[in-house]
Amino acid sequence: MTRISTAHAFDSTLDRLVQRQSELSDAQQQLSSGKRVNRASDDPTAAARAERALASVSRADATKRAVDTSQTLMTQTEGALGDAGELLQQAREALVAAGNASYGDAERKGLAQQLSGIRAQLLSVANRGDGTNGYLFGGQGSNQPPFVDAPGGVQFQGVGGQAQAAGNEALPITLDGNATWLTAPTGNGVFETSAVTSTGSAWIDTGGVSNPSAITGSTYSVVFGVTAGSTTYSILKDGVATAQTNVAYASGKAITVDGMSFTISGAPAVGDTYQIAPSTPTLSVFDALDKAIADLSTPSLNSGQLAQHNSENLRNVDAAMSRLQSARSDVGATLERIDGVTDRLDAQKLQGQTERSNAEDLDMVQAISDFQNKQSGYDAALKSYSMVQRLSLFQYLNT
Amino acid sequence: MSSSALLSLGTRAMFANYAALQTTGNNIANVNTAGYSRQSVELETAGGQFTGAGFFGKGVNVTTVARAHDELLTREAAGSQAMASADEARSTQLQQLEKVFATGEAGIGYAAGQFLNAFVDVASRPTDASARQVVLARAADLASRFRSAGEQIDAIQAGVTSDLKASIDTVNSLAQRVAALNNQIAALAGSGHQPNDLLDQRDQLISQISQYVQVSTIPADDGSMSVFMGGGQSLVLGNNAVTLAAVADPFDPGVVHLGVTDASGDHAFPDDLMTGGSIAGLLRFQKTDLPDARNLLGQMASALAGEVNLQQSLGLDLGQPAGFGAAIFNVGLPGVMPASGNAKDASGNDVASYVNGSGDRVPSVSLTIADPTELQASDYTLRNSPSVAGSYELTRTSDGLVRTVASGAIVDGFRVDVVAPLPAAGDRFLLRPVGDAVRNMQRVLDDPKGIAAASPVTATIDASNTGTATVADLHAVSNTLNPDLTATITFTDDVGGYSYTLVDTTGALATTSGTGTWQAGQPISLNGWEMALNGVPKTNDTLTVEKTAYPAINNGNARALVDLRDVRMVGQQTLANGTIVPGATITDAYANALSDVGVRVQSAGTAAQMSAAVAADAESARSSKAGVNLDEEAARLIQFQQSYQAAAKMLQVAQSIFDTLLQVTGH
Repeated sequence: MTRISTAHAFDSTLDRLVQRQSELSDAQQQLSSGKRVNRASDDPTAAARAERALASVSRADATKRAVDTSQTLMTQTEGALGDAGELLQQAREALVAAGNASYGDAERKGLAQQLSGIRAQLLSVANRGDGTNGYLFGGQGSNQPPFVDAPGGVQFQGVGGQAQAAGNEALPITLDGNATWLTAPTGNGVFETSAVTSTGSAWIDTGGVSNPSAITGSTYSVVFGVTAGSTTYSILKDGVATAQTNVAYASGKAITVDGMSFTISGAPAVGDTYQIAPSTPTLSVFDALDKAIADLSTPSLNSGQLAQHNSENLRNVDAAMSRLQSARSDVGATLERIDGVTDRLDAQKLQGQTERSNAEDLDMVQAISDFQNKQSGYDAALKSYSMVQRLSLFQYLNT
Repeated sequence: MSSSALLSLGTRAMFANYAALQTTGNNIANVNTAGYSRQSVELETAGGQFTGAGFFGKGVNVTTVARAHDELLTREAAGSQAMASADEARSTQLQQLEKVFATGEAGIGYAAGQFLNAFVDVASRPTDASARQVVLARAADLASRFRSAGEQIDAIQAGVTSDLKASIDTVNSLAQRVAALNNQIAALAGSGHQPNDLLDQRDQLISQISQYVQVSTIPADDGSMSVFMGGGQSLVLGNNAVTLAAVADPFDPGVVHLGVTDASGDHAFPDDLMTGGSIAGLLRFQKTDLPDARNLLGQMASALAGEVNLQQSLGLDLGQPAGFGAAIFNVGLPGVMPASGNAKDASGNDVASYVNGSGDRVPSVSLTIADPTELQASDYTLRNSPSVAGSYELTRTSDGLVRTVASGAIVDGFRVDVVAPLPAAGDRFLLRPVGDAVRNMQRVLDDPKGIAAASPVTATIDASNTGTATVADLHAVSNTLNPDLTATITFTDDVGGYSYTLVDTTGALATTSGTGTWQAGQPISLNGWEMALNGVPKTNDTLTVEKTAYPAINNGNARALVDLRDVRMVGQQTLANGTIVPGATITDAYANALSDVGVRVQSAGTAAQMSAAVAADAESARSSKAGVNLDEEAARLIQFQQSYQAAAKMLQVAQSIFDTLLQVTGH
């Protein structure tokens, strides 16, 4: 039989009441904040998980901003390249028109002026800014317009390469101006034909590759002479005579050497030399247009020279256009990739938020039920206290 | 046979019952008195009178008033109360400490992540002043969160110190009263009766002392009770009370420990000998939990500030002309605290100290941070090595690891330098590489142009390259980088062999050249930078790394600052056998610290709950023996009232017998 001392009975009941009250207030705090974990001690591992999930959510937000910047700039760049392509298309049309045999010097001069205008617009497209202090084609940096008109032609004054936004993705925010505008392949991409000396009325076309495996990469020259009364040509490879020496010349007939095939048409004079050199990635869009403008402004050219110029200028403009086009499709591919990255980041952010919520949020239904449990428990404790503590022997002693 | 026998019987009975009633009344009056033991009157018969007709009883005697007291239960109750107080004290302080490590958006980890994330916008638009302003604003926020956490910890320490002092004062006054009571009780020892009330008071005082310091008691023959603390230290001996004092920590004057005052001064009492009482709980908290929390915060602050400042110094800012970036954060310097017992010279200064260039007296031992990523969350103690002359023994407080180091050695990310005058044989120093870091942590860069977003060197690829190599990443890794050196790397074969030249554009240094081999996945390192390549280079491909022409628009260093999010900068460890245990990223480190403190609070709370339950049980057992039950006292009142009435009736009968006798003998 255990005795219960009165004072102790009151004290211990009071303790229990206070404890129930504090549990009730904890449950209330959880309900009002909506979180199961308000402090680290409520559930340390869940708190750490929630912390890591929060870090990944804010990181996804920051990366999203970088992706958005890249997307904006690449969209602007793609637009600029589209504009450049249209301008070059206009230039091409002008050059095709220049091939009209009935045009005289004046008409060609007019076309040259048109080309001048196109060239100026192209320069401004190349120097297009990105809305802040940067330039779309500035490469890894230039704080002034990257393309400048120097006496020797347009020069790129920025630093080559691409600038990237921050983060682990490769998100470009500029394009390499040098690579895009100034490095189209010369000639037809494999070799370039040109007239070194052309006093006659012959001209050499762009040529093509007939046998890719036979290409040697040497520099060839076709020298015209007269042998036994007919025009012949000799092909020299790097200055050394080849097997094709003093071959009879037939205008318009294809000449093939070492996998390269080209056609010389017209009437060459003795000593006319045409050169076939390997293609180098050094063709500048502006140089091509400058050459076309200079050619069109030269008066009194014979038909051969006109044909030669036309062929070369069309070839150069085509090469420049295809260079810009391929840059544009690169940018398009980048934009598509950015879409994929954006989707992935959104999913990552959602996952982070879910993880955080799982770790620290309250299951409302269970919490409300727990709270009501505790509430009724507290109520019962209060009621029982008031009933039991009223009982005392002194109430029944009336003597 | 006389009526006087009946009279005396009745008188005696009345007196005994009245005494019992009085004692019961005393019990009822003291029902709520703390520590009161129920008293009861002990009765015995007054013996028997021999007569020819047999032994006739002479009545009842009151022997003494005894108290219902069980020494074992009282001791149990006091002891378990001491444990409960210790756990409760530690748990309360830990709950305060937990508030320093806030969760979610209010926490330090979130602020650190946001600060590094802000560099993403600077990298996207390096010339945008508002992006830079955001970085500086977030840096200030981060520094102030760290600083206020440090201030909170300092406040908690100050609270613990003042609690300790107040508790020690209380124990002293209680001990004095116990000594006085011992005196009184001893004086009454010869009276033959127990001074119940004094004994109850003394037991109550000892129980109160137990809440602060766990004590054991030994009763003496003269009735006095001697009180002893852990380890045999006496608190009260007879009528003498020992004075406890708050003794300053030998290293840190702001921290106090329990000490004992005697004729030769104050002596510190070893913390480990304290087993219970709130003072023990506070001391344990002060010794382990508080320094751990402070060091965890300091470790994170030092690592982050160190790495950010280093990365800033490797990049170019927007100044005219562009210079290497200045530090963004300032953290508290590592501290060295000499023990107060170190050898002193004639003028009272430490022997192992000297006056430095600014006129301050500093200890001969100094610390500098060498590698912030290797800092550990611990304090260290240093003393002369007993085994190796000229070297020092360095003990890591968190896990007790002991290493022998010489002056200038770099260990755990910091360098220890000991200069003349060298420490004496018994000198000890407390080293705190990270303990003071969060105190006064400040953002010291205010100009947005000072953020070093640009990389000092840029790489370009020759357009005529035939291979597919592109530059994936180029960043500076050390302060030895000379931006005026242009490196030209030419690949000599298709498998990554290259030759390089380093040309000094100012002409001050000679051209250096050399060869190397590049492997996929390994960066090329020259001149303090590292370059990673994508793709495969072919023979005669050329790369150039030269000074950045337009630092205003270059974002290389801003990207490197963003990448600090993933750098494992906190708490890397290099073990004795050379293995490297990687550290944690800054946000992970905060999550780990958060859960560390949370676990401590949780387990302290559970311990406090359990020991409180044990203490409640013990108290309930004690009071069931010694406490007053009002119903029981009410019943006894009735019982003794009836007995008294019966005794009074006996007197009435005796009187009527006497009257009858008188009537019979008179006429």
